Amino acid sequence: MELNERSRTRARRMRTPAILYAVGLLVALVAFFSLGNRNFLSLYNLNTIASYAAILLVVGLGQMCTILVGGIDLSVGGLMSFVAVVFIVSLKVVGYWAYPLCILIGAAFGYLNGNLLTRIRIPSFIATLGTGGIMTSLALLVSPLPVDAPAARYRMLQVVNGAFLGVGNLLVLTVLIFAVFFVILRFTVIGKSIFYVGSNITMSWMSGIDIVKTRNFAFILSGVGASLAAIFLACGQFGGDPTLGRVYVLSSIAAVVVGGTALTGGAGGPVNTLIGAFVLSVMENGMNVIGVNAYFQQSILGAVIVFSVFLTFDRSKISTVK
Amino acid sequence: MSGSAVYALTGITKSYPGVVALDGVDFSVFENEIVGLVGENGAGKSTLMKILIGLVQPDGGTMILRGSPVSLKDPADAIRYGVGMVFQDGTLVPNLTIGENLFLCHENGFEKLGFLSSRAMRKAAQALLRQVKVPDDVDTPVAEVAPAARQMVEIARLLWLSRLYQQRNPILILDEPTTVLTEGERDTLFAILNEIKREASIVLISHRLQEIVENSDRIVILKDGRNVTEVAAASARIDQIEQEMVGHAFSADRYREEEQREPGSREVLRVDGLAKRGFFEPLSFVVREGEIVSLVGLVGSGKEEVCRCLNGLSRADEGSVSLGGRKLTPGSPGDAVASGEGHIPIDRRSEGLALGMSVAENVNLLVLGRLRAGGLVSPSRERKNAEQWIRECRIKTPSAATLCANLSGGNQQKTVIAKWLSSRVKLLILDHPTRGVDVGAKDDIYKLIRRLAQEGIAMVVMCDTLEEDLGLANRMLVMKDGKLVDEVACPPRRKPGPRDIIGLIV
Repeated sequence: MELNERSRTRARRMRTPAILYAVGLLVALVAFFSLGNRNFLSLYNLNTIASYAAILLVVGLGQMCTILVGGIDLSVGGLMSFVAVVFIVSLKVVGYWAYPLCILIGAAFGYLNGNLLTRIRIPSFIATLGTGGIMTSLALLVSPLPVDAPAARYRMLQVVNGAFLGVGNLLVLTVLIFAVFFVILRFTVIGKSIFYVGSNITMSWMSGIDIVKTRNFAFILSGVGASLAAIFLACGQFGGDPTLGRVYVLSSIAAVVVGGTALTGGAGGPVNTLIGAFVLSVMENGMNVIGVNAYFQQSILGAVIVFSVFLTFDRSKISTVK
Repeated sequence: MSGSAVYALTGITKSYPGVVALDGVDFSVFENEIVGLVGENGAGKSTLMKILIGLVQPDGGTMILRGSPVSLKDPADAIRYGVGMVFQDGTLVPNLTIGENLFLCHENGFEKLGFLSSRAMRKAAQALLRQVKVPDDVDTPVAEVAPAARQMVEIARLLWLSRLYQQRNPILILDEPTTVLTEGERDTLFAILNEIKREASIVLISHRLQEIVENSDRIVILKDGRNVTEVAAASARIDQIEQEMVGHAFSADRYREEEQREPGSREVLRVDGLAKRGFFEPLSFVVREGEIVSLVGLVGSGKEEVCRCLNGLSRADEGSVSLGGRKLTPGSPGDAVASGEGHIPIDRRSEGLALGMSVAENVNLLVLGRLRAGGLVSPSRERKNAEQWIRECRIKTPSAATLCANLSGGNQQKTVIAKWLSSRVKLLILDHPTRGVDVGAKDDIYKLIRRLAQEGIAMVVMCDTLEEDLGLANRMLVMKDGKLVDEVACPPRRKPGPRDIIGLIV
């Protein structure tokens, strides 16, 4: 019995939370780059970093929900491309209504992804790979070349591009979106259900959690996040690029995973993704600032992602890593 | 049992987070013998088996195999020493043929000029199948073969492999080989095992003490990860082995019968003409407030499926289940839970808990809606609710934020119970509530069950042993071949004996 007690004490020793590693990595990166170039910490450059992190965070928060619930959303890139062009095109026709229209498109598309998983039972990895492809081509069908927003409508882009008391609206909006995701996941029943379903879907079903609704909701959040990010990007570029989403499939997943959210579902959260988005953004920007060869940057980025997952991802709980 | 041991383990220790699975266990296998290994669930049998075949590495102790110390890396390594295991759930590839399965991954010996000679393989396979008396053709896919024959194919494969690696007297480990077999198949299995014994040693694990006593030469008893004793099978008595397994003479009131109460008059669960084709025929029964009804029957009697229909995990073909007078939507666990029905599943790790989440999160799962303040779930109410139920169910955990994965089996089970209690269930279905739980925690669980009954919660239980069923229940429903065949009252101090019931079950 005594031996039993001792081993229990050993089990009690808590694992260092993944998020501490991610924060440590972020601090190390900032220190490294600011030593490399003093201007790294200039107000102008910090704003650049924050703006890029904001876009990554908004699409990453949605992506995180699908990963938390035990799935993944590979369609965010296609959706972002589509929304970017549709936003600019519809801006000419319906004016400010383009904003809610595009958010609605994102939600509906997410709902479609969710139903492919929950009702037709296609694994989200494949389902969203397919729907993402469809959206990529739809974006090119709407406009094969980037469309510019008409100068007469620039005023309408001020919703995102403007500033309030010296702080860019983009950042304010991102903080608001982050708060909404945080509240949903931490303080609402359906948001908390996302964790239960991701952690153990059989148990959740047997305990009466509506696993169809919960998973659909996670994918809707992902669609909304991606479309918001696309709107932000289109505003910043004063135009819609039908290929703009391409890089965001992998970088959104990277932001989520680097932050320490487990790909197995059920563990992680918005704060993790916040840190993850900043790690990626700091890397991206820092390598330019200290003048790393552009061709070499991708390999460093790749190595950092693998390394950070090594640090944060709790592999001890799963016997086989796929 | 002549000469020295082929395989000798001494002082084997292995601990997992939260539990010591093996604590200085000794275990030897001699030439040409069948050694029976018995113990309660959680006694360490399966861990010991995994160590024998290198699936798990011990923390301490020595393993001497065929005269020299070994540390096995994996089961493939063990096979090279002529040690192999027939698993409970089988390891054959179902869509390959018997012949292909026999030689899987070791086909090199049949190569001629770089190609596999199917003629040589077939011939070797036929010879092997004859030895283990499998009537099927070598080209039959394993998926189409009866469970008994599959087991034989696995045994044949192990024998052949040890011959391939030139090991004399291979050691075969059989984990619960008879659970899936019919009576006739079981007799055949043991006849063959006794024949194979002439050239091999066999380690036999089974819950059925009868067959262990009848077929082994020596019986090793484990309890709580330690050796208790070893007896020669010839002189062994089942009740004596049982007592050694549990570790003490049964206390007079193991199931707290003194606390058993008369059920109330209000009807909680009413099952009316419920039937599911292929599983069970129409049956009806009622469970009252504070009543514990035990459902007994053999595997295949249909009792598991009845429970699955009760809590909406499965949909019955006809009939209805009503809870507190309201008919439940068939096939909807959500509706069952919303109506006040709880379910303690047999496999708590995969069906009862979110292991990667905290005790508090698991306890609060069902009541989040109630813990809201102003539309949002309130963290302080969450903490209060979790702490209250951790106290009431005596869950031993360092804190409410500890992950469930780090708790022992008994405390995990208490967490599952706490989850349902906090949701104020009216009916609780307990599917083997004490499986894999150590003795002390078992008593806590019995205590909880008695308290629930006193609070008026109706319960349907299926237990690990008939004694437990008898001890806990107010009333016993006996199922056989998909039919509800009898109902037995179990008043305290005047309980029927297990023998009376077994007659009804079989």
